[in-house]
Amino acid sequence: MNMAKINPDFAEEIKKYGAQDFNACYNCGNCTAVCSMTDADNSFPRKIIRYTSLGLEGELQTSVEPWLCYYCGDCSTSCPRQADPGNLMMSVRRYLVAKYDWTGLSKKLYTSKVWELGAIIFVALIVLLLFILYSGEMTTELTTEGGVKLNTFAPWQNVEILDWSMAGLLSFFLLSNIVNMFFKIVLKRKDVKVPLKLYFTELFNILFHFFTQWNFSKCNAEKKSFWEKIKSGEYNYWLIHLFLMTAYVTMFIMIVGFLGWFQTDNVYKWYHPQRLLGYYATAGIITGIIYFAILRIKKIIEKSKKTHFSDWTFLILLFLTAFSGILLHFFRIYGMPYATYYTYVIHMMILIPMLIIEVPFSKWSHLAYRPFAIYFSRLIIEAKKIKK
Amino acid sequence: MCSKCLSGKKYNEVKMKERIGVYICHCGGNISDYVDVEQLSEMMKDEDGVVIAKNVMFACADSNQKEMINDIRDKNLDSIVVASCSPKLHLHTFRGVAQRAGLNPFNYVQVNIREQCSWPHSDHPLDATKKAVGLIRAGIKRVARSKALENIVIDAKKAVVIVGAGVSGMRAAIDLAKMGNDVFLVEKDFFVGGRVAQSGELFMTNQKGKQLVEQLYNEIKSLNKITLFTGATLEKISGSLGNFNVSIKIKPRFINEKADEKLLNQAISECSVEVPDVFNYGLTRRKAIYKNYPEALPDKYVVDAEALKNEKEFLKKFSSCIDIYQPDETLTLNAGSVLVTTGVDTYQPEENEFGYKKLNGVITLPELKRLMELNPETLIYNNKKVRSVAFIYCVGNRQSKGKNKYCSRFCCTSTIHTSLQLKEKYKDVRAFHFYRDIRTYGKQEILFEKSSKQGDVYLRFDEKEPPVVEMNGNKLVVKVKDYITTKKELELETDLVVLVTGMVSRSDSSSLAEILKIPIGNDKFFNEIHPKLKPVETVIKGVFIGGSCQGPKNVSESVQSSLAASAKINALIKSGRISLDPIVATVDKDICVWCGKCAEVCEYDALKEIKAEGKNIASVNMASCTGCGICAPVCPVDAIQIAQYTNDEIESMIDGFMQKIELKEKSGEEEVQAEGAVTMKEYPQIWKQILQSINEKPKTIPEISKELEINNDLVTYHLMTMNKYSIVESAGLDKKETYHLYKQKN
Repeated sequence: MNMAKINPDFAEEIKKYGAQDFNACYNCGNCTAVCSMTDADNSFPRKIIRYTSLGLEGELQTSVEPWLCYYCGDCSTSCPRQADPGNLMMSVRRYLVAKYDWTGLSKKLYTSKVWELGAIIFVALIVLLLFILYSGEMTTELTTEGGVKLNTFAPWQNVEILDWSMAGLLSFFLLSNIVNMFFKIVLKRKDVKVPLKLYFTELFNILFHFFTQWNFSKCNAEKKSFWEKIKSGEYNYWLIHLFLMTAYVTMFIMIVGFLGWFQTDNVYKWYHPQRLLGYYATAGIITGIIYFAILRIKKIIEKSKKTHFSDWTFLILLFLTAFSGILLHFFRIYGMPYATYYTYVIHMMILIPMLIIEVPFSKWSHLAYRPFAIYFSRLIIEAKKIKK
Repeated sequence: MCSKCLSGKKYNEVKMKERIGVYICHCGGNISDYVDVEQLSEMMKDEDGVVIAKNVMFACADSNQKEMINDIRDKNLDSIVVASCSPKLHLHTFRGVAQRAGLNPFNYVQVNIREQCSWPHSDHPLDATKKAVGLIRAGIKRVARSKALENIVIDAKKAVVIVGAGVSGMRAAIDLAKMGNDVFLVEKDFFVGGRVAQSGELFMTNQKGKQLVEQLYNEIKSLNKITLFTGATLEKISGSLGNFNVSIKIKPRFINEKADEKLLNQAISECSVEVPDVFNYGLTRRKAIYKNYPEALPDKYVVDAEALKNEKEFLKKFSSCIDIYQPDETLTLNAGSVLVTTGVDTYQPEENEFGYKKLNGVITLPELKRLMELNPETLIYNNKKVRSVAFIYCVGNRQSKGKNKYCSRFCCTSTIHTSLQLKEKYKDVRAFHFYRDIRTYGKQEILFEKSSKQGDVYLRFDEKEPPVVEMNGNKLVVKVKDYITTKKELELETDLVVLVTGMVSRSDSSSLAEILKIPIGNDKFFNEIHPKLKPVETVIKGVFIGGSCQGPKNVSESVQSSLAASAKINALIKSGRISLDPIVATVDKDICVWCGKCAEVCEYDALKEIKAEGKNIASVNMASCTGCGICAPVCPVDAIQIAQYTNDEIESMIDGFMQKIELKEKSGEEEVQAEGAVTMKEYPQIWKQILQSINEKPKTIPEISKELEINNDLVTYHLMTMNKYSIVESAGLDKKETYHLYKQKN
């Protein structure tokens, strides 16, 4: 029996994740009609709003539609009741992140500012403790090139251990959450069974969408050519997001995979890849953050009009990481030892908590959930086609 | 059975009209496009008695009306025939013309050559013209025999009986009294206010029903032209417009008016007999000495004699103030008009309809409203606090396969308004609406938006798959297939299920309809004459209906309706005299032998036996007679005729039809325009050309078009029309198998 139970209390709970006005929805379907991402296989956002209003958590947790939305905001602009479906979809994404997480930490981070701040401070203090206990000498001696001997204070081999443990923890939680997501979206479906072959043939989707965020191009489906849209600035959000993403990925690979090479005491020429890549990463992150922050402060586009505290946490932490990183770099190459050491510690006290908390348990998880969601959705669509 | 044989009277005893004016209308093409009005006007000049015959573009136009008046005066016409549209449109216009020109308005006859000629026969213009000849000749013959008639004037009593003192009746009473009429307000219950008194807060103003009733009652009390009878019912009515005799029966309150108030209060407090309270739909019990509610008006107690009749000791003790043997009173009221505002009952769900009366926690919307009024602080039902309410809409209404096919109009708004009140009064109550459609029309739409915004959940079901209410353990559960969540089966636990029941006609409405002789519809609501043009009048002259007894309405609409009726009534009787159309039956007293057959068939009781000049004959009550004509054919001696439809006139019309008709053919071929709109006149020409062409050999449309040098589209249009009327048919496909060949059909 396909009977689902109505849960009227859920409406109050979802409000903690940001959405306030969805109750005004009277199911006209304008939002779904105007949405450029919805299609016959996956209908949204009205269905998701309906599930939310009725409190059908089971349906919500097994749906992939929230991840197929890229928050262009057309639905909210066209809603005749100002029910803000776009914001509801965003809130459902936060809710789903909280549900995929089996530890329960994510829910606390999203619904309580105290927990969010507390968790960050907690991890930061652990990092500080590690530095107090295990850091090397704060030597004022400079290198032959005039740079600070950073690796005396914080030998990259030791830091690498910290980095790898962090990366390991992060991956463990994130991957287990993805498995949870997989169970809910794909395996729990009774109407379709995915043949093994499809798991391989659709695999490319994960990396493709991870690196390109190609679906952004489908948002705001006006009848203009690709280049016209770039020229008119419609793809700005996407391009800046790509900039930010590639910047962060570059930096992440360098500090996790090539820390010895990256955290060097040598002071290379400005055009040396170690410096150039660093500058690229910094430029990407800072540009992106400032762009997104301005959008949120000025509430320029629809998706930036409603901000949850988790949005600010993300922006602020990333900005401070990049900012402290660039300060650190300049202190080091211009031979300011104490400034370098203290900035280094502060940099780590921001970076580690950000990675451990934001990636598996909070907003940053979208880097994994989104590409996998597309992958899962393709699995189901292709499986249905085969079934026919 | 013609008049010649029986009556001995000759055909032409009536003074014939000899100076007749005939006006044939083009109607801007509506008539003249099909009927040859020019030829007709020429022909009619030769008819007996016709002085002038004209064809005019628009007979009803001001300019033509003026011209007609001038013609009548200049040429000394004594009667006119207007051949144009249906009399439903301009009968009164041309009667007015006749009057202004000094003619009797009944020396004018309307001939319908549009709805009954040019329009239905647009495909046979020649035959239409022939028919028009017959119709106009008949009209001319008829008007030649027309009699000058005067309106019938009767006295009218400036008093009105209003049946039902609900909000509609009371409001109408106030206006009628203020306009100078006496009003007898007859209410069946012992207290006024009807349904409005039972409703708590009303939409859109949130005013309490009780307050509205009190306001109206106080105003009624202040106007001494209004007499209120409570506990009173209509028993019989006789007479007619202007002079009705209405007998009412008044049930007693069984309380001695002169009794000591303290003693009565003692009786009330000592009264131990309690019965289910009908006013609160059985939710509470009331004593046998009661008022509907503490502030009920009139402010007098009533004794439920049925309940107390076995309490011998009690009755003996309080015999000075309670007397259950008080008799009924009967009164006859004399009034010029009657207004029926008896209102409605609410639909009572069947046993186990959505669990009603079977499961604990299923009530109707009116019951909920009583519950809310009786529980101002916390909503409690069956000793349990109510935290969630599930409304199921359209119960007992919109039954496509049931008795009540209609929608009751007010209930969507009332339910949503109630839901808003629930949230306002009881803060943490949740509301769920299981609906089929939401009809918060007009300015009431605002309530729907407010309800959504406050978190009410709406679920839509289809009539075929209504929600199912059942018990799950000790929890009430509603299951439904939700059409706005992809027809998913959903389940809701709730404390209370409220069935939104609509209005049904009162159980006593059929007996009232029989007494008043007003028609009642299949849905048992009283019928008006015309829903748009005469919404408050009934076929009985002088009997009006207003408010929800005519059909489901909300309070505002009910009051509008009864006020409309009060204005009409006042207009009718304010002068003390009423002028009626003289199209009534007339009895020839020389011929009538009073067999009684006419009185038997008359629906309006307009025929009575009287003694006149030594013999018994039939007499027509001209106020009641509607001129329907059913009495005329049943009279075995042909003594009854209807004014303007006398045997003379009708027989002469038949003669007019039977005359031979000779029409002149239209001479010469006209140049046919290939472009532009084609008028009906040109049809025959193009058709002739096409037929000539395809009679040589079957051709396709492009070939015909090329040959005749007529536009392709035009040829297609005409050929398809001819095909439709079976004048041409297809003769297969052409060589390239792209076009059909056409030939004339035999």
